[in-house]
Amino acid sequence: MRVANKSRGVIMFAHNNTEIDYIKLAYINSLLIQKYMGLDRTQITVVTDPHSLEHGKETIGIRKMQQAFKNTVVVDKDIKFKQSNVRLYKDTSHTAKNLQFYNVNRCDAYDISPYEETLLIDVDYLIQSDALNQVWGHNNELMMNWEYNDILAEREFPALERLGPTGITMYWATVVYFRKSAYAETFFNFVKHVKDNKDYYGDLYRWYGAIYRNDYSFSIAAHMLSGYQDKGIPQLPIKLYKTFDTDDVDQALDSNDLLLYLEKVRSPGDFILARWKGVDLHIMNKWAINRVSDTMIKHLITAKRPAKKVAKAQEIK
Amino acid sequence: MAAKLQTALEFSNYRQTLNNQKEVLKAKTESLLSYSINGGTFTIDRELITFVKILIDDKHTDAVLLDIYNHPIAIDLQNFYAEIMSRYFEVTNDYYVEYEKIRKARNVSSVLDLNNPGSESGE
Repeated sequence: MRVANKSRGVIMFAHNNTEIDYIKLAYINSLLIQKYMGLDRTQITVVTDPHSLEHGKETIGIRKMQQAFKNTVVVDKDIKFKQSNVRLYKDTSHTAKNLQFYNVNRCDAYDISPYEETLLIDVDYLIQSDALNQVWGHNNELMMNWEYNDILAEREFPALERLGPTGITMYWATVVYFRKSAYAETFFNFVKHVKDNKDYYGDLYRWYGAIYRNDYSFSIAAHMLSGYQDKGIPQLPIKLYKTFDTDDVDQALDSNDLLLYLEKVRSPGDFILARWKGVDLHIMNKWAINRVSDTMIKHLITAKRPAKKVAKAQEIK
Repeated sequence: MAAKLQTALEFSNYRQTLNNQKEVLKAKTESLLSYSINGGTFTIDRELITFVKILIDDKHTDAVLLDIYNHPIAIDLQNFYAEIMSRYFEVTNDYYVEYEKIRKARNVSSVLDLNNPGSESGE
């Protein structure tokens, strides 16, 4: 499926912290988007900060980054927020670290997006298929999922279903589709309002923990926008598959073919192997993607070369 | 006894991997059986195929169908039917081939088809 309409595009946010190279994840995902969704680089926008961009220029190179995503929006970080929003990142159950989690500007996606129709996705939601092309031209102006599926079917995690033990249903801000419209604009205004008053809404909705998560502000905005009805905003026409940060990626057999270690339910630190092919996947262990990132890039870049060579050979003929 | 236990644990691991790969395959199939057209989304299943075929047999050329969101979507039946039939057979045939492969596998390595790394799929 090829999507040529330039008023459609994907937007991702990439702000590095001291350990996680989000800009590299955005680079890989941009290449995956081009390959599997058929979008071109002008249809991909990455929002980042000067430091992360500089790091990307040094490690990936400006030319390569521009081949992956044409639009880069550079914003300054809110230092106070950056220092206060710290979360626990896990690289399987064996390693856990408290790191800064900079996610405050996702609510600006509506204002930043240059597209009429936008898919807002996490950099670690790896595109492995063209399934998300189903959203373009959809009747629903705004869609995101509250249902999620773990790739190890028997695992359950109730804390991911609601904001708090007696709270509203949690929507996942991992993938959000919106069309420029008064409805979507109002939604993002609600998200901004929740973000600006996070202590108040944290108390009111009694969300788990102290950190600010976009899943929370998007869920509360959805609740308010729907006239305080639960599950008021329709879900995307895809299922949201995810791993946990206690899982690991063993290797990238191809750019859409991953061999994963999944942590067993009642046996922390013990794994089973799984092979995941051709379905988009949210990988929570960021170190794991970074570890296989060079192999993935190799698959993505070398896969392009033979096709180009063949085309050139035919031209010469 | 230790050797017997080791074998039992290996078998348990194999069963877990096998069951999970079956679920993974089901997930992929479900994902491919979702079809969006004219701003609506449909799940391609036997019910949809049969209903559309009945409408065509009743000489309808166009109809309004309710999608997964219960939105009314105007559909050109003949083209729609051809598309969903083609997708249904393509996806279920692939499902069958992959399912048979893992059903016959007797160890973790063959369940995961590790002798066949790096084949492109899902496009």
